[in-house]
Amino acid sequence: MTAGGLPVLRIGRLPTLVRTTTFRLALLYSSVFILFAASLLAYLYYETAGHLERQAGAELNAEFQELSAAYRGGGVDRLNQAVTERSSARGKFFYLLTGAGGDKVSGDFDVLPAEAPPAGQVVDVKFAYDARTPEGDTTRRAAEGRISRLAEGGVLMVSYDVEELGEVNRRVTNVVWRSAAVGFVLSLIGGVVISRSAARRAELLTRTTQDVMGGDLSRRAPVFGSGDEFDRLSEQLNAMLGKLERLVISSRSAGDSIAHDLRSPLTRLRNRLEGGLTETSADAQRAALVRSIDDVDGVLDTFNAILRLSRVQAGASGSFRRLNASGITDELAELYQPVCEEAGLAFDYRHDPSLFVLADRDLVAQAMANLLDNAVKYTPTGGAIRLKAQRSVTGEVELAVINSGPGIPQQDRERVIERFVRLEQSRTLPGSGLGLSLAAAVAEAHRGRLALADGEGPAETPGLKAAVVLPAA
Amino acid sequence: MRVLVIEDDADAAAFVKRVLGDAGHTVDVRGDGDSGLNQARGGEYDALVVDRMLPGMDGVKLLKSYREGGGRAPALFLSALGEVDHRVEGLQAGGDDYLVKPYAPSELVARVEALGRRSAADAPTTRLSVGGLDMDLLSRSVTRDGAKIDLQPREFRLLEFLMRHAGQVVTRTMLLEKVWDYHFDPQTNVIDVHISRLRGKIDKDFEKPLLHTVRGAGYRLEA
Repeated sequence: MTAGGLPVLRIGRLPTLVRTTTFRLALLYSSVFILFAASLLAYLYYETAGHLERQAGAELNAEFQELSAAYRGGGVDRLNQAVTERSSARGKFFYLLTGAGGDKVSGDFDVLPAEAPPAGQVVDVKFAYDARTPEGDTTRRAAEGRISRLAEGGVLMVSYDVEELGEVNRRVTNVVWRSAAVGFVLSLIGGVVISRSAARRAELLTRTTQDVMGGDLSRRAPVFGSGDEFDRLSEQLNAMLGKLERLVISSRSAGDSIAHDLRSPLTRLRNRLEGGLTETSADAQRAALVRSIDDVDGVLDTFNAILRLSRVQAGASGSFRRLNASGITDELAELYQPVCEEAGLAFDYRHDPSLFVLADRDLVAQAMANLLDNAVKYTPTGGAIRLKAQRSVTGEVELAVINSGPGIPQQDRERVIERFVRLEQSRTLPGSGLGLSLAAAVAEAHRGRLALADGEGPAETPGLKAAVVLPAA
Repeated sequence: MRVLVIEDDADAAAFVKRVLGDAGHTVDVRGDGDSGLNQARGGEYDALVVDRMLPGMDGVKLLKSYREGGGRAPALFLSALGEVDHRVEGLQAGGDDYLVKPYAPSELVARVEALGRRSAADAPTTRLSVGGLDMDLLSRSVTRDGAKIDLQPREFRLLEFLMRHAGQVVTRTMLLEKVWDYHFDPQTNVIDVHISRLRGKIDKDFEKPLLHTVRGAGYRLEA
């Protein structure tokens, strides 16, 4: 990167972090986790400490109701009797019953731990009291109780020890808060770790595209073989980069090739015209002009082929219809059979029934005509050319031209499809070097492919099978 | 023939004018759609040569208006290769032929001359006759000086086209388009081979050849 970009990078560091998907994902992740943990802990509290408190409250209620019933049934005497009984039974509860003047009548305590309410009312109080341990010491323990003033002016208090309950409560609360804190930290870390790994893959893709834009067209995104979304994205990106690289290389070399391919006919034309100037007889001059026109026609043909190829490759050409591909090959067989016979080549045509494809008749015919042209050109006299329209084992429609010529060596097959590539042996024959490129472009425009393989000959001269393979429709 | 060329590129127009002029035709040139349409309506032309891309009114629109106004002169569209897919559109608009740039001058002349005779060539008829060569379109039989000649269906269509354009130069591209309905040029001499086969059938046993090769242009059937 440029030196000017660095300070910006440093200043923008924190906001950049906040903007990253990593950060947002981590935040989202921990928020969701915390929400979950909080509800879990709240539920835990409700079911443990909360439950004990609610239970104790309910028991106090019941006890108080029973004593109130005794008071209503038998007055202070009856109540005094009940309190005395219960107090001496050493149950869960502690009692105190006082007279109207505040003096103790019966119970476990000597004085009220809190102010008594006005007549007919009830208050709940919390207080501490000194309890005697079995060893004879006294400890201060927490208690909760309910105080009510009786109709005659006396006071009844029922209370229970909450020291144990408080301890449980404190512990549960501690557990809840500590777990919440640890959970928060862990979820943050987890969120960062998980989204960091995603971000790292994204970063790798970014770096790949940066390198490619920087001019290194051979760079590819790493594929880790896990088959996840990033692998699939990387594979797609790599396929795209491969196609891009081929296009860039072919258009880079196309310029050179066009210049090279047109230079020789143009030079020849110039020499011929110059020669024509020096001719004295009108007939000789005329002959020179006629041949010059042939040369120019050749140049125009090449131009037309280049333009047509560009159109097909840009995908802007063609009107596609569902049609039987054997209709196309029938006509081509009829067109080329005399040509083959004239060239001393045996011609054979076969086709399967109903080979329906979605195709542009003219484009496919042209691609096949190019393959047939090549076959006629490169098959030595006495050889054979076979045109075959058939359904392949994979169900595609294969339109193949098979010849008994020298074939194309395996290592050259991919190269000959590129624009203007002509193998050394064929440089002397006429041709633009665009025929196979166009056939391949037509096949691709139909979502098919151009397949080159060995023909049906013996190992030393296998011949060539060139096939336009189209998806069946 | 009187030919009107409607073409905005002055150099291209001058070239068409010279090529057709050299072939013995009278040529008028207009540089834009509107004046071209007026001229076509006003003058008695045997053929129109119309560039597809014109300032003002484009070629297709021009020809549509011309046909709607009752104009009957046959028309040839000139088009850059980029618009080759618009061939059908051009023909639907009332064009009679379509020539993609760049083209050979001989191709232009052959096609314009074919247009000029189009009304004659397309006239409904049951018999064609050139020299001693007779074609019966109903029984699909061909005789020369009374001797029956056997032709394959495609050879019949090829000969029919040549006979309908007897005396005119017919290019290989024209034959590919009109007889085979292919709009590309194969590299090998496919048409030459088919012509030579046809020639073998109609000319071989006769003293005077009817099917002539025109160097650098194509073929001509002539008595």
